[in-house]
Amino acid sequence: MSRSRLAMLLLLALVLALPDAPAAQTKDDTVVYAFQSDVDSWDPPNSVLREAIILGYQVFDHLAVRDLKTGRVGPNLATSWRALDETTWEVKLRKGVRFHDGYPFTAAAVKATFDRVLDPKNKLTARGNHAKIKSVEIVDDSTVRFKTDGPYPLFVERLTAQVMQSDKVIKEKGHQWMQENPIGTGPYKLVRWNRKQEHLLVRNDDYWGAKPAFKYVRVRIIPETATQIAELISGGVDVIKAVPPDQMDVIDKSGQARTSTSPILRTAMLQLDQAARSGPNPFTDRRVRQAANMAVDMDAIIKYVLNGLGDRVATGVNPMAFGFDPSLKPYKPDLAAAKKLLAAAGYPNGFEVRFRTGLAIVEPGVQQTNDAIVADLAKAGIVAKQNLMGDVGPYVAQVKEGKAGPMFNWSWGYYSVFDADAILYDVFKCGESYSYYCNKELDDLIQAGRSTLDPKKRTEIYVKAQRLLFDDAAYIYKWGLRGVWGISNRVEYAAPRDEIDRMFIVTPRRK
Amino acid sequence: MRGYAAGQLVQLVVVVIGISMLAFAILYVVGDPVLLLLPQNAGKEEFERYRRLLGLDQPLYVQYWKFASRAVRGDFGNSWYGDVPAFGLVLQRMPPTIYLTLAGLGVALLIALPLGILAALQRHSFVDNLCTALAVAGQAMPIFWLGIMLIIVFAVRLKALPASGYGTWQHFVMPAFTLGAFLAPITMRLVRAGVIEVMNMEYIKTARAKGVGERMVVIKHAFRNACIPVITVLGLQFGQLLGGAIVTETVFAWPGVATLTVESIRNQDFPVVQAAVVLLALIIVVVNLCVDLLVGFIDPRIRVRA
Repeated sequence: MSRSRLAMLLLLALVLALPDAPAAQTKDDTVVYAFQSDVDSWDPPNSVLREAIILGYQVFDHLAVRDLKTGRVGPNLATSWRALDETTWEVKLRKGVRFHDGYPFTAAAVKATFDRVLDPKNKLTARGNHAKIKSVEIVDDSTVRFKTDGPYPLFVERLTAQVMQSDKVIKEKGHQWMQENPIGTGPYKLVRWNRKQEHLLVRNDDYWGAKPAFKYVRVRIIPETATQIAELISGGVDVIKAVPPDQMDVIDKSGQARTSTSPILRTAMLQLDQAARSGPNPFTDRRVRQAANMAVDMDAIIKYVLNGLGDRVATGVNPMAFGFDPSLKPYKPDLAAAKKLLAAAGYPNGFEVRFRTGLAIVEPGVQQTNDAIVADLAKAGIVAKQNLMGDVGPYVAQVKEGKAGPMFNWSWGYYSVFDADAILYDVFKCGESYSYYCNKELDDLIQAGRSTLDPKKRTEIYVKAQRLLFDDAAYIYKWGLRGVWGISNRVEYAAPRDEIDRMFIVTPRRK
Repeated sequence: MRGYAAGQLVQLVVVVIGISMLAFAILYVVGDPVLLLLPQNAGKEEFERYRRLLGLDQPLYVQYWKFASRAVRGDFGNSWYGDVPAFGLVLQRMPPTIYLTLAGLGVALLIALPLGILAALQRHSFVDNLCTALAVAGQAMPIFWLGIMLIIVFAVRLKALPASGYGTWQHFVMPAFTLGAFLAPITMRLVRAGVIEVMNMEYIKTARAKGVGERMVVIKHAFRNACIPVITVLGLQFGQLLGGAIVTETVFAWPGVATLTVESIRNQDFPVVQAAVVLLALIIVVVNLCVDLLVGFIDPRIRVRA
């Protein structure tokens, strides 16, 4: 065989090995959504990734879901729930629902799902979400009872974080199979998953709820933000998330797409070491912390530095969380008062302090806002020396070990639980890993909020806690974050407040 | 020739062992993977349990020995995220990267060979200066920037090509050109230098004196000899090409091994990174070995000297 013929053969072999053309779905019946990175599995309880939660919403159903308009948790596969006593919840299930394989959804599926997640041997990530549940009992085909370990006010809230999987699949197919084969009751079914490339979903025409407008959903993996924006503007993708604030104009002026923003469940703050975990520092004095809060003009920073992408808060409690007190007004900038407080605390000429800063991974524009805050603090005499740590892992580790220093960047995502407890316990309670604050009075309130199911009592408790945190100026309070989405003018859709995109509510835009 | 090949093989083994040590060591410098694997609210026992589970509590030399003895069998353990064999994951993503690299190489040669020869034959002419200017511009242009510019022009403005993705020939055009443009300048300069050097050789004069046509002189006598440094450098540049593929794949959402590696580094998914590094390094080493053998085959002087 001559050398050139061999080369030709090799070339032919390569051409034949090229991938197939995509399936025969048309642009009009498909909505395209982009992820920055792919999921590790199609088994949501076995993943730590937000992408897995989002994909789970398209193919599976949850017992309860959040209404995107009101923000309240309402029925879904569960039609109703009530607490029989302090430690027992009874949940009624929707009848006539079937999994994608035709198998009926009953109380057995709920029990099998939770038993699988709660069994420590299975090592599923979602176990932490439900650790307070002791057992699940089947009453009849459409009724289940949950026994909890003590009063568990977050029970209903947590139902939105658990997909319902089939008892038949769990028993007969098993864990390994479930990693790539999602059998849910949801609005879409998985057709094909090309790892790190795309997911193709097709409408579940037997869905029990409202039918999605688009027959197909393509979820494409596009790591580079600039490429995502180019795809959005050129019509290759319909919905992208996490648009950087400085790119909003590019999208809005393209005529092809628009941006949509929504407050998200994450509050940003500058934590101060009131508890002196990293050693003695000026912030152990309440007057110094109050002065720091009064020195910074947060509203101006939100408006001019963040392009309005923040919602001012009076404490760490997010406006979307249960227990938020809207009547509590944030600190007003007052330089004279701040200086007076500093002088009273023994710092008439101010002081210098290290300010540990992190990358803008969860908090957009954090470097710019830090610069503005540092400039404001300097006017009052607090000279904050920025000290950047460029890697998230070690940063979090340092914070956890109490070595972050007197002042550092921190933001809290509530583990996606819309409840004041989800930040108070982890970030303000004495002795918790991420808390640099210690106050017995507050700890008692946090404990009280956890020990009752009565929403009215809980609200009162959290209002008190917020007053206390405001008066004591635990940290420098900043704002609730806003997320930015890019949406093609081809479709109707708006940024979701729980950061979970639902492709089944996307509709074609009328021309 | 046999002795020459054997010598190259011994070198290869040493290099591979070095690579395996590096692949093993690098990630231990980065940070504690357990911190990233577990949710923020995990307790201390949970951390210790995971550390034991992953064997991170053992001394380093024990960990390396385990790693190396399994790695030779292609077993790098399971990905810490996907729970699938890491080596399989890497192999699966190999074809798109190979297609992209070959396409990039093809584009680079298509640009570099004709322009390099042309520039050499018309030395110091307008064409030559233009080629030099193009080469400087191409060399100076960040691959990342070129990719995004191409997307803006051909996908966003002209809507002629898909901005990103994989599957049809249209998807190949921009990534292949981006990668080709990255490799073309240096290749073109080498071809030019090689041809110029060869054209002054005595045997070219001889060929001309024999009455061989100028076209034949350039193609048969000059080009073949000018090829030797070009092939050698292309072999050396192969690693660069794979490096360029990392950026190109990221920009164009190309589902290759490079994007997988970058993502695994970000996730600190040790087994996948190690499998990818070892495999890619192995490919580079083998390509270089092939180049050495090929050069020896083309130019008898080299293997004799060795």
